[in-house]
Amino acid sequence: MNASARLIAVCFVLAALLPLVANRYTMFVGNAMLVQIILAVGLNLLVGHAGLLAFVNGALFGVGAYAAALLRDSLHWPYWLALPAAGLVAMVIGVAVALPALRLYGLYLALATVAFAQFALWAFMHWDAVTGGPSGLKVPPIDFSPLPVSPGLGQYYLSLLVALAICWLTHNMLRSRIGRAFVAIRESETAAEAMAIDVTRTKTLAYALAALYAGIAGGLFAPLLGLVVPESYDLFQVVFQFAMVVVGGLGSLLGSVLGAALMVWLQEGLRAFKDLQEIAFGGLILLTVLFLPGGVAGLLRTRLGWREALHRPVRTR
Amino acid sequence: MVALGLVVVYRSTGHINFAHGELFMIGSFLAYSFITQFHMVYAAALLLAVVLTFLLGAATDRFVYRRLARSHDTTLVLATVGLSFLLKGISRFFWGGRGEYLTIPPIVDPAPVFVFGIPVLAQQLIVLAAAILIMLACLLFFRMTLAGKMMQAVAENPLAAYLAGIRVEQVRTWTWGAGAAVAGAAGVLIAPLSLLTPDMGFSLLIKAFAATVLGGLGSVAGAIVGGFCVGLIESLAGGYVSSSLQDVSAFIIIMIVLIIRPSGLFSAYRLRRA
Amino acid sequence: MPALETRAVSIAYGGVVALDRVDLAVAEGAIHGIIGPNGAGKTTLLNVITGISRPDSGDILLNGRSIVGLKANLIAASGIRRTFQTSLLCKGMTVLENVMAGMHVKLRAGTLAAAFGLRAVWRDEQDAAEAAHAALAYVGADALADRDGGQLSFGQQRVVEIARALVCEPSVLLLDEPAVGLSPDRVAHLDALLRRIRDERGVTIVMIEHVIRLVVNVCDRITVMNFGRPIAEGTADEVTRNAEVVEAYLGSALHAVDSHA
Repeated sequence: MNASARLIAVCFVLAALLPLVANRYTMFVGNAMLVQIILAVGLNLLVGHAGLLAFVNGALFGVGAYAAALLRDSLHWPYWLALPAAGLVAMVIGVAVALPALRLYGLYLALATVAFAQFALWAFMHWDAVTGGPSGLKVPPIDFSPLPVSPGLGQYYLSLLVALAICWLTHNMLRSRIGRAFVAIRESETAAEAMAIDVTRTKTLAYALAALYAGIAGGLFAPLLGLVVPESYDLFQVVFQFAMVVVGGLGSLLGSVLGAALMVWLQEGLRAFKDLQEIAFGGLILLTVLFLPGGVAGLLRTRLGWREALHRPVRTR
Repeated sequence: MVALGLVVVYRSTGHINFAHGELFMIGSFLAYSFITQFHMVYAAALLLAVVLTFLLGAATDRFVYRRLARSHDTTLVLATVGLSFLLKGISRFFWGGRGEYLTIPPIVDPAPVFVFGIPVLAQQLIVLAAAILIMLACLLFFRMTLAGKMMQAVAENPLAAYLAGIRVEQVRTWTWGAGAAVAGAAGVLIAPLSLLTPDMGFSLLIKAFAATVLGGLGSVAGAIVGGFCVGLIESLAGGYVSSSLQDVSAFIIIMIVLIIRPSGLFSAYRLRRA
Repeated sequence: MPALETRAVSIAYGGVVALDRVDLAVAEGAIHGIIGPNGAGKTTLLNVITGISRPDSGDILLNGRSIVGLKANLIAASGIRRTFQTSLLCKGMTVLENVMAGMHVKLRAGTLAAAFGLRAVWRDEQDAAEAAHAALAYVGADALADRDGGQLSFGQQRVVEIARALVCEPSVLLLDEPAVGLSPDRVAHLDALLRRIRDERGVTIVMIEHVIRLVVNVCDRITVMNFGRPIAEGTADEVTRNAEVVEAYLGSALHAVDSHA
């Protein structure tokens, strides 16, 4: 394992030990960090690795949350079934949005996806029958019986396991032809096609993965907060998500992890000041883009040589 | 009008400033401050607010755009998105939090004037007249004056413009400033008519996008036509279909247009592929 | 049967005719040069062959099979690979990974297999890395394998691009100005490399080029284009003596060739 992967592993070990020393509030924050890690990894695949500037994640996060809540509430599905289902619902919607988006580039794509994000927010707010309108839906905590754990602890470890699994799976995917295909598309679609890469399919895959992760994150976020309300998934949330991947480092798995942890920590610190939050996250994105384009992970890459390989090490024969 | 400002910037840089809506909002708030706190005359407030937003736009170009001119499209969009939230947060900090809506006392006698039997506020007529004036001025500026043509030259082919002796960087800064000023002016004009909140920038931005996308992103005339169309469609949707649809019709317009005919009605630019 | 053939291919962009009923036949295992002034339509022809643009009329045949209208990545998968005028190597990946990306279509492990780290993906990676190293060694660039794709000199980029095009063992290789910006000894290296590719691997090469000395030395046949049409075709000798060609294009270049000979 290279240095980046080792640091991620260390983070997860620390996270696993956190409940031993933490109070409920700290565990809540830690849980939120884990959830956002899942989302950030997906977003980074789409925006960082594949270079597709799509602002769909906020809406898909919300879709996952609503889906999980509704499946448990109305259809009485057990949580362990509702969570992956929520991810799949988000993935389906993500792909549906992706198909027209495939033809758009650069700022057209950004515009269209921002429009979609606002449309989704409007749908959350006004589709009262399904989403409960502006007041949203209440989400009961997860019952972990027959395991002898409290909901708080159980949710924490569930998030931890899911985040760990997502990171491991993504790490594997990046170190194969998929990772290379994503980067190839980002740098030049024409060259990628000349290498016989199916650009359409690869882009759709990027959207699908980002959507799936966002949906799962949403499904984990809902019981954590205890309710699902439209405002949680507005454009500010999108800026927050982008801050995570931009400051952490676009195109880097470690970046997603670090960025998520940092931004959640910052948000908690600024919880009392909504206007400062806007300044903070907007400003951070701007400053990072101007002065530290690779984010924290980029800094580690240039100063310490920590590369994240896009292939598996070979045995030299 | 906000769309016009957006197009101006786009034509000269090939990029869109997501913070454009915030320029509009700041224009409004500046006017508010000038009028209520400094007790300026409306016209003076308009002028000062426009100048300040111009400077803000120019500053954005100098400090943000210039540094990023050679990066990916995505980088610049991210930067301006960050900027937009930064400005929004700063405004919220100075001018009040979420719940408060500020108003400016009406400038002209609020008694409605009757036009073709429809009651219209005098202020709305002033806004309309001013907007038409400014838009005509812009059209003429781009078509007739040397400065306008220089800006267009920089937009079409920066290298050729540079070789022709035009100082590309400076012209660009002025263009950003001009686009910003137009937005700021729009903000000041609208201010007496509506409630001011720091979030107003974004919804205007979406409408401006819808207008520019509908009219074709490169075209000044298109932005104007697009603006009228968006306004019209919104009102119709609100009146005939359902009031909640009004908010979202702009978004739907954007999505539909981009899917069906991305180059808009008066296409001046075609989509480029990496 | 010619390896690559175009029949009456035409394409116009908004009233400007870029290609005007172009007929081209490239024999298998040959090195075929395309020369002509700027704007003659040479790169457009390459773009049309590789599927980046769809011709308005005409047919394009690869080993006798029509490929016109197919998507670009399918055409590439059928055995035509190309390089570009401006090197399009990917930053953010090492040179090795760039070349491995060229093997994309030959690898068989799918997304799920990759995600779970199944043995199939380890095998694929091994094969891809070995093929990439071999291709890099073949062009003499193996030492660059671990450098970032954005950190190469221009000459190095061109050579790595050829490795990337070769890694999948194409039957036809299209090169867009491979020698541009290269110093004379690098041009000589390229000359030798092209011959080796043709002789050792039986690859058919089609090459757009402005460096006439290279074209004259290495190409079996040359097509000269102007205003979207081929105006002459034949061996180097025949073409350089063609009056129309000399007038349209060669003029001073021929003089340069003579003085270097």
